[in-house]
Amino acid sequence: MKMIKNPFVRKKETPSYLTENVSEDLIRLENLVKIYDTGAIKVLGLKKINLTIKRGEFVAIMGQSGSGKSTLMNILGCLDRPSLGHYYLDGVDTAELTPNELSDIRNRKIGFVFQSFNLISRTSALKNVEIPMIYAHRPKKERRERALQLLEKVGLGKRFEHMPNELSGGQRQRVAIARALANEPPLILADEPTGNLDTASSIEIMEIFSELHREGATVVVVTHEEDIAAFTHRIIRFQDGKVISDEPNPNPTVTGHENHMEGLYRARENGKEN
Amino acid sequence: MLFENMSMAFHAIKANKMRAFLTMLGIIIGIGSVISIVSIGDTLRSMFTDIYKDVGLTQAYIGIGYWIEDVHQSDYFNLDDLDRMKEVFGDEIAYIDSGASASSKVQAGRINMDFDFTGIDYNYIDVQPVTILSGRYLNEGDILGRKKNVVIEEESAVKLFGTADAVGKTFRTTIYGYTDEYNIVGVYRKEMSPFMKLMMGGSSDRGTALIPYTILTWPNDYFYYCHVFAKEGIDLQNFFDRLTAYIAKIKGRQPEDYSQTTAISEMGSVDSVMGGISAAVGGIAAISLLVGGIGIMNIMLVSVTERTREIGIRKALGARTRDVLIQFLTESALMSACGGALGVALAVSLVSLGGMAFGIPVVIKPSVVILAVSFSAVVGIFFGLYPASKAAKADPIEALRYE
Repeated sequence: MKMIKNPFVRKKETPSYLTENVSEDLIRLENLVKIYDTGAIKVLGLKKINLTIKRGEFVAIMGQSGSGKSTLMNILGCLDRPSLGHYYLDGVDTAELTPNELSDIRNRKIGFVFQSFNLISRTSALKNVEIPMIYAHRPKKERRERALQLLEKVGLGKRFEHMPNELSGGQRQRVAIARALANEPPLILADEPTGNLDTASSIEIMEIFSELHREGATVVVVTHEEDIAAFTHRIIRFQDGKVISDEPNPNPTVTGHENHMEGLYRARENGKEN
Repeated sequence: MLFENMSMAFHAIKANKMRAFLTMLGIIIGIGSVISIVSIGDTLRSMFTDIYKDVGLTQAYIGIGYWIEDVHQSDYFNLDDLDRMKEVFGDEIAYIDSGASASSKVQAGRINMDFDFTGIDYNYIDVQPVTILSGRYLNEGDILGRKKNVVIEEESAVKLFGTADAVGKTFRTTIYGYTDEYNIVGVYRKEMSPFMKLMMGGSSDRGTALIPYTILTWPNDYFYYCHVFAKEGIDLQNFFDRLTAYIAKIKGRQPEDYSQTTAISEMGSVDSVMGGISAAVGGIAAISLLVGGIGIMNIMLVSVTERTREIGIRKALGARTRDVLIQFLTESALMSACGGALGVALAVSLVSLGGMAFGIPVVIKPSVVILAVSFSAVVGIFFGLYPASKAAKADPIEALRYE
């Protein structure tokens, strides 16, 4: 039983699907097909997608609703499995994994940022950031320290005890980003991260992603807004379950300077405290 | 992880205090009644045990069966029979006499009073200890010489003579038709357990005194019973059976013809009656626990549905099936165990209050309390299993979409 084991003496071998990989391609889709079986009719959600995203890329996946981008998002996030074809994440074929193994993959390799934030209510920002680390069985002290660091990084160092309903939308999304970074996943996957935010907060959030990208993270943003996609360095467009274009973005939006974020937050925090 | 689950469960319960309390009510009442009943039973049992200890737990009366129609004088006992028994069973018999007692009117000066006389041998004090306040106990000479000497109980002396210092005083009484003058040679006090006092119900207006049993075997030296105290630590039933068989043998009878009245069997019947009552009420309490458990299952199902989205989030963030299962099981077990603990508190306060009202020291066994709380946690786990597995099996995509 997991619950009676002491996490400090836990010495479990890392399963092969979780080992660090050094392949250049973080994401590789090969002839990926997703079929929705609704009983009477079968709907093709994704039609033979071939796609590669390298480590360190900052990518936008665009498309109207019904274009298949949400389906792709679910598969990329290992919440769902492809019907046919292969999805290699960090060199591991996810089609062969069990639901519990997929849970581990989501835990260690993917950092989710959702449109509706998806923080757990009545649970402090700090506890929310700790959740992925709890499921990774990291020691309590380490969890707390890292969660505080991450909240500091997204400019919420002083608000770690706040409940989600005491935070603004932009702040909630920043908590979500801190949570996504908790287990140092190789992939940050954001599904319409600015969909519920005003323009100013949207820009803030995208600046954080840009910053993470500069630090070397692989960031995939699913969106239908052009000016959000404009922050990224590569834009992949979807329509009817197929890729219709895949182009680099030569002039990604850049606001402010290197230390813009810190300055901006400090100013804001000070302003709010007064 | 265990600690995390406990704290999550605690917060989830705290978030819905009223609902959790109402849900726990079934368990509170169930556990409360189980503990109350068991404690009342244990208290009564300890009362009876104490009373039988006061009376003498190793004693038995053996006599010719009341169902025997052709009873001859030879079926009765005489002093020689007692001596033979003492010889044969010397290692096992602590004390033996004729078990005779008499009640009669006593007159001292102008005071008249009803008295109960217990006929004893000089070593009765070994099996029924009393404190001699003044004078002495009956001695071998009193017994063998059938002396008209008595040892009187303290309160009876006060009532009869107006003082406990009654040694040397006399009274007149009629025993078996012979009126005589009796000398007080000693005054004793019998220490009694609080239960015994309670059973005796305050002070009676009858007096008690001990007299040589040889007076009560008068005039023909035959008596119905032999009254025996076995030594401590022997197999009582086995001993009484062998003694009865021996008596039957010397009387030329079958062992079945003699009746045996033992303190242990009397106590056993009291025990079994109380055991029966406890079992019946325990059964009813178990039903209320079952209902309480169903209440917990119901509220856990509601809770799982309400928190579908949370389950989706947790799964997306890497919770395995078992993590979610244990989270919800911990919650239902904690809720149920809290109910159990509150039930224990309720029962303990009720039983203690009752005990205080009647002036009885109550018996609440820690083992019963621990068992009850653990059992309520087990109820919580059992009835939480279905809701928790429902939560654990949830599809993360569906769950995340849930509004």
